[in-house]
Formats: sequence, C-alpha cells, structure tokens
Amino acid sequence: MTSQNDRRILSQQLTRRQVLGLGAAAGLAAAGVAPTNALAQSDKTGVDPEQWNPETIRQMAGTLEVNTAEEVAEVVPLDYKGKVSYWYVGPNEASSEIEKQVDAEFWAAFKETYPNIEVNVQNLDYNQMLDKLRTAALGKAAPVVARMPILWGVEFAAKGQLSEISLDEFNFSEEEFWPGALKSVTWEGKRYGVPTNNETMGFIWNRAIFAEAGLDPESPPATWADVVEYSKIIKEKTGKAGYGLVARVNAGNTPFRFMPVLWAYGGGALDEAEPNPTYDKIYIDNEGSQAALQTHYDMYVRDKSVPVGALTNTQTENRDPFVAGQLAMMISHPSEYAAIIDAANKATGEDKVIADQVVESMAYGLIPEGPTRRAVVFGGSNIHIFNPDLVEGDFDRDAARALIAFMCGPEWSTKLAWVSSNPGNIRGFRTTWMKERLETIRFLDVTTSMLPYGIPFPVIPESPEIMNIIVPEMMQNALTESMSVEEACQTAREQIEELLTGL
Amino acid sequence: MSTAQQTLPAARAATKAAARRTRRRRGIWDILGWIYLVLLLIFTVVPMLWMLSTSLKSEWAALQQPPQWLPSNPTLRHYERLLSPYSEVGPTFLRYLFNSFWVSSATTVLGVMIAIPAAYAFSRFRFPGREALFFSVLLRNMFPAVVFLMPLFIMMRWLHLVNTHGSLILTYLTFGLPLSIWLLKGFYDNIPPELEMAARIDGASRFQAFWRVVMPLSAPGIIATAIYSFILAWNEYVYALTFLNNEERLTLPVGLQRFFTEYASNWPGLMAAAFIMSVPVVALFLILQKYFVRALTEGAVKT
Repeated sequence: MTSQNDRRILSQQLTRRQVLGLGAAAGLAAAGVAPTNALAQSDKTGVDPEQWNPETIRQMAGTLEVNTAEEVAEVVPLDYKGKVSYWYVGPNEASSEIEKQVDAEFWAAFKETYPNIEVNVQNLDYNQMLDKLRTAALGKAAPVVARMPILWGVEFAAKGQLSEISLDEFNFSEEEFWPGALKSVTWEGKRYGVPTNNETMGFIWNRAIFAEAGLDPESPPATWADVVEYSKIIKEKTGKAGYGLVARVNAGNTPFRFMPVLWAYGGGALDEAEPNPTYDKIYIDNEGSQAALQTHYDMYVRDKSVPVGALTNTQTENRDPFVAGQLAMMISHPSEYAAIIDAANKATGEDKVIADQVVESMAYGLIPEGPTRRAVVFGGSNIHIFNPDLVEGDFDRDAARALIAFMCGPEWSTKLAWVSSNPGNIRGFRTTWMKERLETIRFLDVTTSMLPYGIPFPVIPESPEIMNIIVPEMMQNALTESMSVEEACQTAREQIEELLTGL
Repeated sequence: MSTAQQTLPAARAATKAAARRTRRRRGIWDILGWIYLVLLLIFTVVPMLWMLSTSLKSEWAALQQPPQWLPSNPTLRHYERLLSPYSEVGPTFLRYLFNSFWVSSATTVLGVMIAIPAAYAFSRFRFPGREALFFSVLLRNMFPAVVFLMPLFIMMRWLHLVNTHGSLILTYLTFGLPLSIWLLKGFYDNIPPELEMAARIDGASRFQAFWRVVMPLSAPGIIATAIYSFILAWNEYVYALTFLNNEERLTLPVGLQRFFTEYASNWPGLMAAAFIMSVPVVALFLILQKYFVRALTEGAVKT
C-alpha cells in the first residue's frame, strides 16, 4: 500500500492550493444540482447524478471492508500454480511517484496472494500499444491478458481475437460495474472483458494568467464560446497561448479533447451522444459538429490564440507550456495534476520557488458546456483475455482469471486508480481506501462531478479509426484551411460512411 | 631598353595582380566555406549541447520559459539513477544498454562476416547473373522498412524467434547487408588484382592471397562497414518494439519509452538516457573516423 507519508505530501499540496479551483465542480455537485442534460446522459453510462456525485460518494466511502484474498480464493485457489503474460500501459519514469509506488505495491500484493503464479509483465507506451497489439494478434503472439483503453477492445472482439468471458467466472456481478462500462466490453451480445477503471477529465486553468489578462482568476469559462473568447483575450493581453488545442492524428489525446466540444454543440461522430444510440446515424457533419469545429477554427486560424504546434501536439505538448506558465487553459486528466505536483515537489532552489508559484496558480473545474449539453468522454480501461489461438506459449486461463479477479476487485480497482481515475468496480467507492483517497486528493471531486456528463465512444470496431484518424484529419483539414469547415465535416462523413459500409 | 625589357615589369605586375585577385577570390570562398562549416557545426553540436544541458536540470527547470541555457542548479541525479545498479531504474536501464550492445555487436560481426566474402565475390568473380544479383541485393532497401514489418514478424514467429534477440539480429542483417556489400565492393574494386596475382605467383592460395593481402588493405572499408552496421542496429526502434515482448530483452531505443506517458515526458531523464545512448556511437566514430572517411572516399572512385 502507498505510504501514508507520500499520500500526506500529495494531500497537503493539493488541499492547500487547488481548493478554489474546485469551486465550480464541487459546489455544483455538492449542492445536489443535477442538470437535466446530465440526467439524459446518464442513460448511456448508468451514472445517475442523483446517486453519483461528490456528496453521495463521500457518504458511501468507508462503509465496506474488503478482504481481497478471501474473495479471489473463491475464483482461483491461492495455491494455484500457473503462468500468464500481461500487457498494459503502466506508470514509468514520467509518471508521478505515487503512481509508480501503487503499481509496485499491486505486483507485490499479487505475488503475496498468488505466490505460484508467474506473470510476464510488459509495460507499454500508450501511443504504441495499439499497433503492437494488432501486430502481435495477427502474428499469433498476443499476450494472454491485456488491459486496454476503453476505445480499443471492441475492435479486437469484432475480429474474434478476444476470448468471451462471463462476470461469474471472476465472481463478479453486473451490479458491480456501470452499465456504460459493461457496454464497452460487449460486442454482439457477448462479453469480452472487465472494466478496470472509468475516468472523466476536467478543465484546468492558470489563475495567474487569467489575472494578467484581466479575467476573473476564480471564474473559468462556463461555455465553449467563453473558451474561444477567453483564449483570444489571453493571447492579446499576455501573448501567451489561451487554450491547449490538440489535433494530432493517430493520438488518443485528440478525440478525448475534441469530442466533448462536438457533443456539447449537439454533434458527434455517430449518434453516440443521443439518449439511445444506435451507431447507425452519422452526425459528424450536422450543424452542431460544424459549430464545434468552427470554435477550433476560430481559435487556431482566426485568433491564433492556441499553441501554433496544435496540429502535431499531444497533451504532453500542452502540459509542458502549462507548467512553464505559457498556456492558460486545457482539458486535463487527473493524473496530470498529480504529475505536476510531483515534479514541483522534486524541484530545488530557485526552481522550487517558481514551481510553487505555478502550482499555486493551478485551478481545476468542470469542462465547459455548449448549447446542447456539457459533455466529457466516459473513458477508462478494460481488461481482456485474448483468443487462445492467438496467444504465444501456454494459455493458462485460470492464471488469467486470478489476475483479473485480483485487479478488478474493489481493493485494487480503487488503489490502481488512486490519482487518476475512478474504480471500475463500483464497490470500490464504498471501501475505506476510497475514503482515504477522497480525504487526501480533493481534486478528484471534479472527476466524480464530471461522471454524469460522460459519453462513451461508439462501441463499434471502427471506433479507433473514426476517433484517432478521421476526426483528427477533419480538424486538420479545417485548421490548415485546405477545406472549409463544412467541407471538412462533409469529407469526414464520407470517410465514416466508407468505413462503416466497407467492413 | 628593349620592348621585352619594358614589358617584363608590366607582365610581373599583371601576374601579381592576377595572383592577388585569385587570393582575394580564394579568400572570399575560404570565408564562405568557414561560415558554412561553422553553421554546420552549430547545427550539429547545439542539439547535443542542449541535450546535455537539459539532462543536468531538474524536471521543473527543463520546462521553464525562457529556457535556462545553462542549468541554474545542475544535477547529475538523472545519470546516477540511470547508471546506478542500486537505483530504482538503474538495473533496467543497464539491462537495456547491455541488450543493445549484444544485438548491435552480433549484427555487426555477422554482417561483416557475410559482407566481406559477398563483396569480394561481386568484385572479383564473373558469373552468370552477377549484375542482376548485385542490384537485387539493393531491392530490399528500395522499400520503407515498415513494409516488411508484418511479413518478417510472421516469419520470425514461424522460426520461433519472436521475443528473442535473434529476430532482431536477423532483421538488422537484412537491412544492413545491402549497403555493406556495396560499400565493400567499391573498396575491393580499388585494390589492384595484380597484388593478389603477385601473391599467387609467390605460392599463396587464393584464400591466402585474400587473407594476407586483400584483407589488410581493405581494413578501412571493413571498419566503415562495421560502424555502419553497428549504428543501424543500435538506433533501430520499430522492429525492436514489435518483436520483443519481454522487459528483460528490450533494447535501449524501446527502453527510452519509459520517459514518456500519455500526458507527460520526463525530459531531463530522457535527455540523460539519450546522451548515454549516443556516447558509444560517437566514441566509436571519433576513434575510427579516419577509416570511415577513407573507406567512403576510396570506395567512391574507381581507379
């Protein structure tokens, strides 16, 4: 388990400095305000804002004691001897210390619980893992188990590359997971994975730059139209970039930051933002989508108020100028906040003074809303077992079951999401670990506040291609002015049509 | 005074003036040449210096604007972490380093062993299909490396080589050999066959003539080929990423991923790792550069 000391350090940094930024998020949710559009969106994820908001989550936290070893022993005996290969996007040298520590503690705990199960672990880079998995599966050298970002699994399932699973074989029930999360591991009525974590992002801004630009540092932009306006003002008044636009092709960061805008304006790739999506209607060129793309055109081309490298930037290229005080606003993953705090803690001398100033200026709140709704990607990860025919070496399903049951139970589902996410197993919200987490990392209130606004990506095998290639290319076509906004949307529609009919 | 006597000083003066003009012209070209070389030097060296400077900063200092050209609080922490077998990341990094050395060295040795007889045969022997075969060697290099990724992966799996260093060594050989053979052939073409004939007349066998006469003379070419093979294998990323699925076997270019996440990069750590990674190649090149340059130039001109 992560040491109390480390958590205390993180907690002190966070509670002291970011409370103001939480106002919009925590205040809204704590007051029990559940906007109608959030209620409508909860149909897709099952995250009822009345039931799931910072207040109710605080109340339920700490009401459940869990003995993981006892629970998993019912799935696979603790003395089971076996072997399993496992690929995932894990923490590394660029991650915060606390993430690395929790990861190491997980493997130590698994070893202690299942001393005779050998796990061959491959920790991969986020932007490389998808292609590597595709190649490995085609070459019949896939791992037995892989944890993938939520968008990827269905592609492998549709190709017959994943093993069908049932929640029963891990001693889980459907009630332990959000319906939206379960939907992301379901293809043609069959289940191919277990949700490990579900996350929603927030909006982060630099209060010092806001003040420098003459904006109220405590009031983040409420709408996407405000973002465009604030970004322009910030650029004009300070010369610094306003909003952290990213439009890189084939990078997961791009759809996670653009789709919320598209949905907020009533657009979408397909009809994924509608109450009962069927994924057979294309929305990419509707009025809402065009209006959303127009906001990005306005910021990039008309106002030049976003980083000039936006077309090739990923979120990494946003975080660095944000830390350097050269970027005012961005959609941000909670783990970024932890990583920034971590880097500030490691700074020394004069650097420490600057680091403290930047951290002091950071504020966190809800993602702005649009004319139709407030939206965020209902993200996260799922864990899957590959088809035995595609696995290199021995296929030991029981060892895989032991690993998945251990990882997706309430304890590790919560701990592995410590600074970054929400537990996939919603029993985790009731554990003492969740209580400890909420008490020490207050900014997670923003994440839980955003949960009801979550919209899952379309659960179709073409999703990675649409989200990682077609949507970013649409943005690039408009932002480079090689096409008008309307033409770019129309071209994207044709590409999606071709993709959907071609498979 | 004769006309000849009268024109002599004038001719001398004209010659001097012409020499001055030539010197002046040469001076301008020299200056332009120097400017070009200095610019080239800046273009080459500044990124290395920037890499070194960043590797000596804290993570925070590396992100500051305006950038610190010289670190205000220089630290060797990142190098210590990477190179200490007792640090959290040190053993892993050192293992990557060792793996890269092993794969690159094996590729180099095997590449040279294959390229030498192949190049010699193309240079000295006349056999049916020689020209076609020689040019077909280059066929592989006419396509982007990534085109062969899946076929080679499937082939390696068929050979049970996936997740072994053997898969990389074999693959790197297919990349490096064509140019190595071309390079060495050019070199052998420059060594007069008469030298071998003389050795044969003195009683040496064909192999002895090759071993005792041609090999020593072709040493610069072999060294150049070796450096080329080594650098190619040392820096390769895509195939190493695809073929290796075990942390224990990863090579350095893939290991550098440890400094990136979805949202952040550890720039000083990355720069320290990249600097360490560049040291063997730079050292190798500096030590052997005279052979490398000689091999390239001698192989380029047919006598």
